[in-house]
Amino acid sequence: MAQVNMAVNLGGLRMKNPVTVASGTFGAGQEYNDFVPVDELGAVTTKGVSLHGWEGNASPRIAETPSGMLNSIGLQNPGVQVMKDDYLAWLAPHDVPVIVNVSGHSMQEYVDVIEALDDDDRVDAYEVNISCPNVDAGGMTFGTHAPSVEKVVGACRAATNKPMIVKLSPNVTDIAEIARAAEASGADAISLINTLLGMAIDAKRRKPVLARVVGGLSGPAVKPVALRMVWEVHKAVKVPLLGMGGIVTGTDAVEFMLAGATAVAVGTANFMNPTATHDVIEGIRRYCDDQGVTDVNELIGGLQC
Amino acid sequence: MEHNQLVCEDARVLANEGVGPRLFVVSLESPRIAARLQPGQFVHLQVPGMPDHILRRPFSVFDCDPQAGTLDILYQDLGYGSHRMTDLCAGDVASQIGPVGHGWQAPTGTERALLIGGGVGAAPLFLHAKALLAAGVAVDVVLGAATKAALATYDAYTALLGHAPVVATDDGSFGFSGFCTQPAADLLAAHAYDHVACCGPEPLMRIVAQMAADAQVECQVSMERRMACGVGACLSCVVDTTDGKRRACVDGPVFESSKVVW
Repeated sequence: MAQVNMAVNLGGLRMKNPVTVASGTFGAGQEYNDFVPVDELGAVTTKGVSLHGWEGNASPRIAETPSGMLNSIGLQNPGVQVMKDDYLAWLAPHDVPVIVNVSGHSMQEYVDVIEALDDDDRVDAYEVNISCPNVDAGGMTFGTHAPSVEKVVGACRAATNKPMIVKLSPNVTDIAEIARAAEASGADAISLINTLLGMAIDAKRRKPVLARVVGGLSGPAVKPVALRMVWEVHKAVKVPLLGMGGIVTGTDAVEFMLAGATAVAVGTANFMNPTATHDVIEGIRRYCDDQGVTDVNELIGGLQC
Repeated sequence: MEHNQLVCEDARVLANEGVGPRLFVVSLESPRIAARLQPGQFVHLQVPGMPDHILRRPFSVFDCDPQAGTLDILYQDLGYGSHRMTDLCAGDVASQIGPVGHGWQAPTGTERALLIGGGVGAAPLFLHAKALLAAGVAVDVVLGAATKAALATYDAYTALLGHAPVVATDDGSFGFSGFCTQPAADLLAAHAYDHVACCGPEPLMRIVAQMAADAQVECQVSMERRMACGVGACLSCVVDTTDGKRRACVDGPVFESSKVVW
């Protein structure tokens, strides 16, 4: 059997296979290293980092919902310095590209985070998170309005020459318009989708399940929405896409690539199965073998309709 | 801190039996986890047969036999997942991650310890009691339950200690009538303890933490939170502590009670 070429190029970031992780579901790889050596991944995407760290939201922070879950972690993170001293230091000896997810409460904070990291050669790319639904300032408030997307993405672009991925929120009327704004402002790639804003209610107590009342829905439940949005954005922009939303199996990942994704991220599935990333990589390879696909890049946008 | 190696293992169900009102003990063959499990650590179990409920459930371990490769979980039929647990039969297989977390660690030189378990919170203290006794520590155990029938661990503790534990029931059907905080306070006043360990409903742990602080005795509690990953990555299960928000799964579940912000 011919060896399948699994390598992809995500806007300048070379990945040995198309699989990374969704920010916030995998730490920086250390917590899952007993199950999946981080070197196996096409890239590791870190938990979102802000300049000086955030405490995050009150508990309860999660709720299980049909075929999915809600979270309102609120981007708890220890800040750029710990990212450098601990997470990047741990990742340094590993042979895996590092995508740092960048968060901010203000436009300036996004730029400050990038500037604080940009001369660190352990950082291979950024994912600019303008789509977190669980913070009051920044996050999704920047990502749901094309003019503010252009401003924040443009400011981040001016701060770095490294590959810059912009992560979009699905909580918009027209995701293609937002994607075009990100592309026009200098995004090298677009990742989607972040979580869908939702809520869960405890009828007996007449209370919301989450302390913050609302949270972001993820898991298999969101996969059809994510596929639709990847497909719409694929038709709207030329930059490569990092597709995510409910990917559990290699077949799920292939579906995202057929819809237009160059690479994919495994998120909530890590919680279900700690070897999910490994299983997805092997599943893509097996699909290619079975289908006579010699280069995984053939799958990108290969949907026939 | 030394790295606590985690494994994901398919555990085989050996037995799953009712031991009280809505109380069950499931025995699992899980040799790789049983071999290294420390008192107070837990397993993160995927209850089979409910694929639309995607998250694993954390369960504290009641008893463990590293030689036989088996462990017992005492659980309450309380929600969807634990209700489905009651359907498990011998021969069924459930994936579990373990041994997870930071367990009980009595201070060096501990000579006498007081263990207080409320409801199913009695379970994760059992291995701690075993280890303390084996180390020559004098151990007093107080168990609280709603009723006599709900004292599912009474016989096991009696066999372990060589005498009956101190008991309180809410309805007065056995032992002290009322909450287990009263007999615990009496013991704290009567003896010089080096270590208190408590697991149960959060209000119980909060009261015990205060009593221990007043008596100037070191005290540990085992915290419970809604949990997603169970390995320290997702930050769902954080506990408010004097060191900030810490993960119940890997920084806990056992915390120094003086560090918990109640």
